[in-house]
Amino acid sequence: MKTVIKTTNLSKVYSGTAVPVHALKNVNLEFKQGEFTAIVGPSGSGKTTFLNVIGGLDKPTGGHVVIDGVDIATMKESQLFDFRLRHIGFVFQAYNLIPVLTAVENVSFIMLLQNRPKAEMEQRAKEMLEQVGLADKLDVRPGKLSGGQQQRVAVARALASRPDFVLADEPTANLDTESAFNLLDIMARLNREENITLIFSTHDQRVIERARRVITLVDGAVASDEYFDRETSGEENGQTGQVMTATL
Amino acid sequence: MKTLIKISWRNIWRNRSRSVTIISAIILGLMGGVFSASMRLALEQQQFEDTIDNQVSHIQLHHPDFIANPEARYHIGGGVEIASELSKRDDITVASPRTVVDGMIASSNMNSGVTIKGINPEIEARTTGLEDLVTEGTYFTEKGRLPSVIIGQALANKLNSYAGSRLVLTLQDVDGEMVSSSFRVEGLYKLSSKSFEERTVFINASDLNRIIGDNDIVTEIAVVIENPDDYRKVAEILSGLYPNAKVRHWADLQPSLYYSLEVLGEALIWILIIIIMAVSFGLLNTILMSILERVRELGVLLAVGMKRAKVFSMIVAETTIIALIGGIAGLFMSWGMIRFLGNTGVPIPGGEGLEDFGYASVLYPRLETAFYFEIAIVLVIFAILASVYPAWKAIRLQPAEAVRQE
Ligand SMILES: Nc1ncnc2c1ncn2[C@@H]1O[C@H](COP(=O)(O)OP(=O)(O)O)[C@@H](O)[C@H]1O
Ligand SMILES: [Mg+2]
Repeated sequence: MKTVIKTTNLSKVYSGTAVPVHALKNVNLEFKQGEFTAIVGPSGSGKTTFLNVIGGLDKPTGGHVVIDGVDIATMKESQLFDFRLRHIGFVFQAYNLIPVLTAVENVSFIMLLQNRPKAEMEQRAKEMLEQVGLADKLDVRPGKLSGGQQQRVAVARALASRPDFVLADEPTANLDTESAFNLLDIMARLNREENITLIFSTHDQRVIERARRVITLVDGAVASDEYFDRETSGEENGQTGQVMTATL
Repeated sequence: MKTLIKISWRNIWRNRSRSVTIISAIILGLMGGVFSASMRLALEQQQFEDTIDNQVSHIQLHHPDFIANPEARYHIGGGVEIASELSKRDDITVASPRTVVDGMIASSNMNSGVTIKGINPEIEARTTGLEDLVTEGTYFTEKGRLPSVIIGQALANKLNSYAGSRLVLTLQDVDGEMVSSSFRVEGLYKLSSKSFEERTVFINASDLNRIIGDNDIVTEIAVVIENPDDYRKVAEILSGLYPNAKVRHWADLQPSLYYSLEVLGEALIWILIIIIMAVSFGLLNTILMSILERVRELGVLLAVGMKRAKVFSMIVAETTIIALIGGIAGLFMSWGMIRFLGNTGVPIPGGEGLEDFGYASVLYPRLETAFYFEIAIVLVIFAILASVYPAWKAIRLQPAEAVRQE
């Protein structure tokens, strides 16, 4: 399986504060094509920092992030914008969508920035909204959607442009249990069907078990990295998976 | 690009009342600017018409000593020839030779000191438009037993005379002797300056020269030039051509009018600057507020790879659309306002008293079409400038931090 992301000795120190914060400490991880990974850990453990650094939103203070063989630390700011646009899908905790655009316009947005042909864009956007169960909300603006529906639109947008991988920072944090499971199920299914590498962070025990790989961060360091075999991933509750590997 | 404008357009209407407020401010600002500009232009035009076109003309020539002692002996030698020479020049429309003396005018029950201007009626009509100012009677058309005099309405009221009545003019002849002669009031002229009306009477130059006992004395040449803006240049040329004459342009002759027009122009520019600044700052504030409310949203746009230049143009587009809506609506409303006021006129508070000083009591504002577009373009440019700071703020957001903000 092809390696999509590889980090070596990745560190991040926030030095703007009175006491410098070591948010990431020598993180060495590899993500392969098609993986569905959860980054877990308590609040402040460095999940957001990790996703921001591998997503090219923030610069590491040490180590390297190599994506598809390219060290993104060597990229200029403007190249990073383009790189994010072409290779990475993002889902944030909230406020993902452009409030003044309809669901289908929001899903088309990334493809629009990529200058994709209009017809292809519209068809793909509709298809993705059907995939996330919002076929009847195409022309509805985010303000008229529930929190769970908004996050599903965000997931549809992140995947619509077929990025190399999708980073989702606490996508379920603002959702009730049912919506959270629903969103994770959709993500898991799209991960399988579209074969898109998907990494999400959460501190929510309920949704962790949807992932096939679970990386635990504690104080900015990798505490565990486990693989589970989830044949029926997402379709039921409870930890049915079996631990395949555990590294520490 | 289309979507960018669509987003900008919809963003404007997210906070409807805020956008409506700033658009109204632009409309009112434009109307205020257009109003003050049109009033200034009306005042300038009206004063120019009254004072320069109808009384003073652009340039006057005299014997240098005539200015201190307005007597017939200080006349311009060969004045009639000089005047016709001047009239032939390309930069001069017409030059009117006049014989100007001070004297007395008397009716049966009143008399008054006046300046008597002996003129060539045909040339004078083309110089000051005197013929058109005659509102009662006629203008040097009658060949009656008595010579004709044209006097001002105000003087007629004072002397209790009317078109057709008889008046006696008394003045000094070339030998310094007082001579009197009867005239018939042929016409009454009207100007907005009551003092000029009371002070100035017109008779045929040939009649005046006959009374004072000399022929073809010219003490004053009034010059109307082709391009009024060139008055300084032409005056300078004439000074060079006629070194024996004192050549003065209207700004020399009417310094108070000149300065009041200058001050008016200056004040207008400041009014416009203040209006445009106020509107621009209002706009800046509006856009800045909307940026601060949208930090997370803008952070997401930057995070997903929307280029800073695009985010920048989106915000500039937002501001520009607001400015254009306000600008176009403001232009139409200003245009309507000027059309309306141009017909009805704008009364100046306490205007009746002003007439005595040569000011009209009602102004009819009007404006050249070009001005509307000039002020609108300036406003839109300032609006775009006002969007630069908020847009710059927006693109300086660090996406990683912006999306973290709650
Ligand atoms: N901009 C910043 N400046 C200083 N410290 C920061 C900044 N962002 C995050 N941190 C700190 O870095 C650590 C990791 O934060 P974060 O990556 O947000 O963790 P998590 O997403 O797991 O809650 C925390 O201690 C947090 O306070
Ligand atoms: Mg976090």
